[in-house]
Amino acid sequence: MTIALFSGSIDKLTGASIILAGAAADDMDVEIFVLMQGARAFLKDVADDPAKLGMSENPELKEEFLASLERLKVMPWMDFFREAKELADVKIYVCGLAGKIWGGEEVSDFVDLVDDIVGIGECITSMEESDIHLFI
Amino acid sequence: MDQEELKGLTVDKSVDARAVACPGPLLAAKKAVRELESGQLMEILSADPATKRDVPKWAQKKGHEYLGTLEESGFFRIYMKVK
Repeated sequence: MTIALFSGSIDKLTGASIILAGAAADDMDVEIFVLMQGARAFLKDVADDPAKLGMSENPELKEEFLASLERLKVMPWMDFFREAKELADVKIYVCGLAGKIWGGEEVSDFVDLVDDIVGIGECITSMEESDIHLFI
Repeated sequence: MDQEELKGLTVDKSVDARAVACPGPLLAAKKAVRELESGQLMEILSADPATKRDVPKWAQKKGHEYLGTLEESGFFRIYMKVK
């Protein structure tokens, strides 16, 4: 499975993390290509702070959304990514251009889950070879 | 297995995932099954109704034997035998 994670919206990041968790439980190999605002969400000083992430659709519902996740004891989206990497072969690649847009030029600028910074060629090749591809 | 047979089972591992919502119980089951050997029994406790379908489907797909589900007050016990 490949996932083009374009969005930095916290609800979409949460949705992506839940799909990823299910795929990892199923032993699927997953490559995630983090694009545009998705790359910002993986910056070290952003990833673990919901206050720094917006919600693209119905932003006025963000607080209700976060409160519901807490009430339902749903892990933060980053924790699902972390667990998925422990359970299966999950690689996370940041688009080089997207990284630069947000001031992230080195892998070390991002959370330790990020495996590498890549160009679009690698992304397209992986998508061609994948049976399932999602754009989020 | 029928309900009485399930009640009589002695499991090798019990995974309490009642505190977490989907996909937490599935991840907990996936992690726990790695600690067990072929033929051992595991139960997953979950308060999330989605788990009643999710875990059996996952277990069958991965080759484990789904034995059945017991409904308790406010949660479920899902039993499986590791492949």
